[in-house]
Amino acid sequence: MYALIKREIQDHIVYFIGAAAFSAVFIIISISLIHRYNPKEPPVFSIGLGVPAVTIVIFGICAMGATQMYLDRTRKISALLSTLAVSRSRILLARIITGILAILILLVPQTIAAGILVRVFTPHIPMFPGMVFEISVVVFLMAFACYCIGLQTGWNSSALTPSLGALFLTCIFIPLILIKGFGVHIVVILVLFIVASLLRTWHTFMTTSL
Amino acid sequence: MKPLIKGLALNYPVKVFATGFVVLTLLSISLFWFRYICQMSLSVKMPGDAKDIRIEPSGLVPPELENDPNVVSHSRVFASMQPEEKGPLSLGIFDYFITRFPGGRRSPGGHRSNVYFFESDRDCMYFDKKSGQIVHLYTKKQTMLDITTSLKMIQLYVGPEGVSETQDKTLGRFIGPIIDHGWLERRWIDLREGGLSELILYDKKLRCFFKIDFNQRTVVKGPKLGKNDRRHEPIQIGLLDKTAFELSYLNWTPPRIRIPDEDPNKTGYSTAKLKPIIPTDYDCDAGPYLLVLDETGRIDLLDKETLEFVKRTPEFPGVAGRLPGPETYFGPKDSVTPRELLDYKVWPLALTTCFFENPEEVRVTFGDPSYFFKRAPARVERKYLGMFAASLSRDGTALALAVFDEKGKRIKESNTRLTKYEGGHTTQVQSSKAFFFGAPWSPTLTIGKYLTENLHPPILSVASYFTASAFEAASGHRALFFLPNSFIAIKAGDRGENIAERFMSALCWILPSIILAIWLACRVSKDAVVVGLSENARAYWIIGTLAFGLTAYITYRLTRPKITLVTCPNCGKMRRPDMVKCHRCKSDWHVPELIPPVWRVLKGTEKVHEGSTADAEEAVVE
Amino acid sequence: MDENVIKVENLVKYFDGRCVLDGINLKVPRGCIYGLLGRNGSGKTTIIRILLGLEPPTRGQTFLLDAASTELSAKLHGRIGYVAEGHNLIQNYRVGRLIKLCKDLSLRWNDEFFNHLIETFRLPADRKVKELSIGMRAQLNLALAMAIDPELLIFDDPTLGLDTVARRQFLELAIDLIQQQGRTILFCSHILSDVERIADKIGILAAGKLVVDCPLEELKERVKKLRVIFPESAPPNLHLTEIINQQNQGREMVITVANWNKQKQTALEIFKPSSCTEIPMSLEDMFIECTKPNPEYVES
Repeated sequence: MYALIKREIQDHIVYFIGAAAFSAVFIIISISLIHRYNPKEPPVFSIGLGVPAVTIVIFGICAMGATQMYLDRTRKISALLSTLAVSRSRILLARIITGILAILILLVPQTIAAGILVRVFTPHIPMFPGMVFEISVVVFLMAFACYCIGLQTGWNSSALTPSLGALFLTCIFIPLILIKGFGVHIVVILVLFIVASLLRTWHTFMTTSL
Repeated sequence: MKPLIKGLALNYPVKVFATGFVVLTLLSISLFWFRYICQMSLSVKMPGDAKDIRIEPSGLVPPELENDPNVVSHSRVFASMQPEEKGPLSLGIFDYFITRFPGGRRSPGGHRSNVYFFESDRDCMYFDKKSGQIVHLYTKKQTMLDITTSLKMIQLYVGPEGVSETQDKTLGRFIGPIIDHGWLERRWIDLREGGLSELILYDKKLRCFFKIDFNQRTVVKGPKLGKNDRRHEPIQIGLLDKTAFELSYLNWTPPRIRIPDEDPNKTGYSTAKLKPIIPTDYDCDAGPYLLVLDETGRIDLLDKETLEFVKRTPEFPGVAGRLPGPETYFGPKDSVTPRELLDYKVWPLALTTCFFENPEEVRVTFGDPSYFFKRAPARVERKYLGMFAASLSRDGTALALAVFDEKGKRIKESNTRLTKYEGGHTTQVQSSKAFFFGAPWSPTLTIGKYLTENLHPPILSVASYFTASAFEAASGHRALFFLPNSFIAIKAGDRGENIAERFMSALCWILPSIILAIWLACRVSKDAVVVGLSENARAYWIIGTLAFGLTAYITYRLTRPKITLVTCPNCGKMRRPDMVKCHRCKSDWHVPELIPPVWRVLKGTEKVHEGSTADAEEAVVE
Repeated sequence: MDENVIKVENLVKYFDGRCVLDGINLKVPRGCIYGLLGRNGSGKTTIIRILLGLEPPTRGQTFLLDAASTELSAKLHGRIGYVAEGHNLIQNYRVGRLIKLCKDLSLRWNDEFFNHLIETFRLPADRKVKELSIGMRAQLNLALAMAIDPELLIFDDPTLGLDTVARRQFLELAIDLIQQQGRTILFCSHILSDVERIADKIGILAAGKLVVDCPLEELKERVKKLRVIFPESAPPNLHLTEIINQQNQGREMVITVANWNKQKQTALEIFKPSSCTEIPMSLEDMFIECTKPNPEYVES
C-alpha cells in the first residue's frame, strides 16, 4: 500500500506542491490582513476573501481526482498494476488516500494558523467557539466530495468529458455551502454524498475492463 | 468486514441507490437556484402598497390623549415587510455567520451567540458554557479621594445563586439562559445614570426566572415552573423579535400635536413640526411586566417584581395576546407558533405617571421616563396598556398586524393587501396573491417557480405537504430535498377544506410532476424490456420512477446495463449476449455469424463413426 | 489443491455485439506448457485478459490457481508473471523507477536473477520506457515477469519485437524455468517454431471455438495430411468424417484429416488408391490447415 501511495504522490506531485504553496500564501495573506479584524463587525472582508479562495481550492482538488483517473485510463497504469501483487481495491484505495493527503496538506496548516490567529487576535471570551473547526470540517468534506466527483468523471479516455464534466458538476455542487452554511445539515449531506460517490466509483473501477 | 464491503460495493441495488443520491443532490441544488431566482425576482417586484399595514388610531392610547383637541395626528401603528431581505436569509452561509456574531440572532430555536454584546475587551457580556455563569465586564466611573475620576474595570460572574467578582462554584450554573435582549438596548441609559438596571433572564433547563441586579449584586430567583407543567414553555422574553435580518418593521407613533410656535392659521403642516402629545420613549417597555413568548405563540405577562406569571382573574385572562396568523395564499391560520413565522415583532405599550415632590406636578409619559426629566420623580406608577404584534408568514408574502389591549383582548387586526382600481371599483387583493400575480412579469416568474417545483421528485413534494409545518420557517427557505415553501406545502395550511379534499387538491398542484413521472416510467419500462431486466427489476424501476420522477430516470440511464445487444436469430429481436437464453423468446444460444469447423481434436474425445466404412463400400459399388 | 492451474468453463465474450469467444472450455494442468494458438482476432489475448481479471467475461467462468478470475487476491497476482502483448508498461516512467515499483509491489523478488537479466539485456535504468525500442521493452517486460519467481507464467506473444538472438535467449530462459518443478506456462505466439520447441499441449482457436486441445505429440498423431493417387479420377466424396481440408487435382487428392485412425484408413482403402503417402507436417503446417477457412466443411 505504501508503494502505491508513494507512486500516486510522485505522479501527482504538482498538486501537493500547489496545495502547500497555496496554503502558505493564504496563511501569509491572513496574517498580513488580521489587523483589519474588528470583532464588533461581521467578518465581511474575510468571507469575501475566503469564499473565492475556497472555490479555487476545491476546483483544484476536483481536477486532481479527474486527472488521477484520466491518466490511469490513458496510460493503462491500473492494467499494469493489476498484474502485480496488487488488487484493484488497493489501487483505488491508495488513490483516494493520496487525494485525502493532498486535501489535508492544503487545509490543516490553514486551520491551525486560523485557530492560532483567532486565539491571539480575538478577545479572550468565547466569541466564535468551534467556528474554525466547523468551517474546516465543512471545507474538507466539500473538497473531498468534489474530489470524488473528479474521480467519477475522470474515468474516460476522452479528455473533454473529465474536464467539462468535472467542472460543470463542481460548479453545481460547491454553492451548497452558500445554501446550507457550515452547520450540521451540510455535514450530513456531504458525508452521504461522499459515501454514495465512493460506492459508485468503486463499482465502476472494480467492474470495468482495464 | 472486507468481503462485506466488497459485496456492498459490487451490489447492483447499492450502486443504484448511490447513483440516485448523487443525482438527487445535484438536481436538487440546481432546482434550488432556479427557485431562488424566481423567488427573489418576485420579492423585488412585489408592489410596495402590498407590503405595508397601517392602523390608525392604534386603539391603546387612553381616550383623553387620543381625542385631545390639539391632536393633529392620531396614534398609529405601522408594520411593513421587506421581502427582498429574504435573499440573504435564504442562504445558510449568511445565517451561519450572523447568528454566531456577538449579539447574534435574538430568535429562539436557531443558533445564538453566547456573547450577548461586545463593545471592547472591557465592555462585554457573555455566557461561559464551561462554568455555566454569565460574565459581565464593564467600566465604571469612580471618584477618587482627591476628587479626580477614574475608570474602574469591573468583572462580574453571575450564577443562579449570586453575583461575585471572582469565579466561584458556589454561584451555581446556568444551563440554558435566555436573556431579555431589550435590556441590551437600554444599558446605555443605565450606564449614563451611573448604574445598571436589573436584567431578567429565564433558564430553560432550570425552568426558572432570575432577576440580576448588577448594582446590588444580587440574584433573585422566581418560582420554578413545574417539570411536568407544559402550559409554559418560554422561548423568548422581553424584546420579542425573531431575526437579525430586517424582514419586517414595526413602528408606533403616539398622537401628535403641533409645536406651539407654529402659526395656527397656516394651512397644512409638515410632520417635522409635530411632537408627541406626551414625552414618549420608543423602546419596547411593558411597564411593570415583561413579555414572555411561549412556544405555542401565546404571549404571557411576567411580573417583574415577583417573577411570576400574571395570574388569571375574572377581569384578566393572564395572557397579553398571541402572535397573529397572517393570511397566506390559501387563507388565514387561526393560530401560529413562532417556528411557523419567518419573522415577528412585538411592541408593548406602557403609560408612566410620575409624581414629584410638588404634589401638583404630575407628568405622564409613554414608556420609561428615565431620561425625560432632569430630576428623578419621587414616585412612579406604571400601567401596561397593551401590545402590538406583527407576524410575517412562512413564505414571506403576508404580514398580519394585531393590537391587544391590557386584558389581552384582540381589538384590532389587519393584513397586508394590495388595493386595485379597476373600472371605478376598488378591490383588495391579498398580499400573497399580489406577490405572485400583482406585478408585471410576476405571473411568468410564478409559473417558472411552479414548473421548477414540479421537476422535483413527486414523492418528496407529497412528503413536503405532510412535513411543511415541521420545518422552522427560515430553514424552510434553505431546504433542498423537501419544499416547505412550495405551493403544495402551502396548500397543507389551507383550512377551508376537509383533509381528503385538501389532499386531493394539493395533488392537483403537482399534476405536471405526476404526468412527467408517468411518461418517464413508460420510457423506463420499454427500455427495461429491451435491455432484458428481470420482471422484478422492471417493476422496481417503474415504481421508483413514478416516485422520484426525473431523478429516477437519470439514475436509470446512468446505471442501466451497458451491454451491446445482438439480434436473436430465432425471434429477430435484440437480446442480451450475457444471458444463456433469449429473454424475449427463450431460445437457446446460437451465434450464426461464427462458422466453426465440424471436427475437433480434443484430448480423450476421439469419435468413432461406424457408418463411414459401409458408406464407402456402397459408393465404390456404384 | 486442484491439479488444473487454469480452468475456463463455457467462456463467452462479446465486444460491441461481435462474438469473439463462443463457449470455450480449457484446462491447463500444473507443470504444463500450454501453447495457445490462433489467428489474429481469434481471442487469445481476450482469454488471457479475462483469466487475469482485466476484462469481465460476457458469460462463463475462469479460474486461476483455484480462484475465480474476478476475485483474484493480491497474493495470487503475486504468483503470476505476465508478459502482455504490446508490453503494457507505464511509458513515461524511467526504467529504474518502474523496476523499483514492481519490486516494491512484489511478494518475492529474485534480485540476483533480475540483475543478471538486466545485464544480459543491457537495459539502461535512466531512460524512459517510451524511449526504449520495442525489443528492449519486451526484454524489460520479460525480466519483470521472471524476477518475481512466478508459479504461473502467462506470455502473450512475448518475443514480439525481439531479434533472433534475444528470442533464443528467451527460449533458453523459458526452458530453464520449465525445468524448475511445478511451473506452469501459458504461451501465445505467432512464431510456431518456438511453441513447437517448448510446448507440451496445444490449443487452437478458430471461429470462437477451441478446435484443438491436446498434447502436441498426440496432435501430430491425430492430424494427418495424405497425398492419395487414384487409378482414375479422384472420387468427389470419400465418405470420411472430420476432413479438415481436401484438394482434388485429377487423379491426385491431398487430404487433411483430423483424428486419423484405422477405420478411416480402411474407408480410404476401399477406393483402392494407387498410392497413399503421408505428408509430414510441422506445427505451423498443422496450424495453417486447421485455421484456413474451408467453406465446404462447415458445421451445419
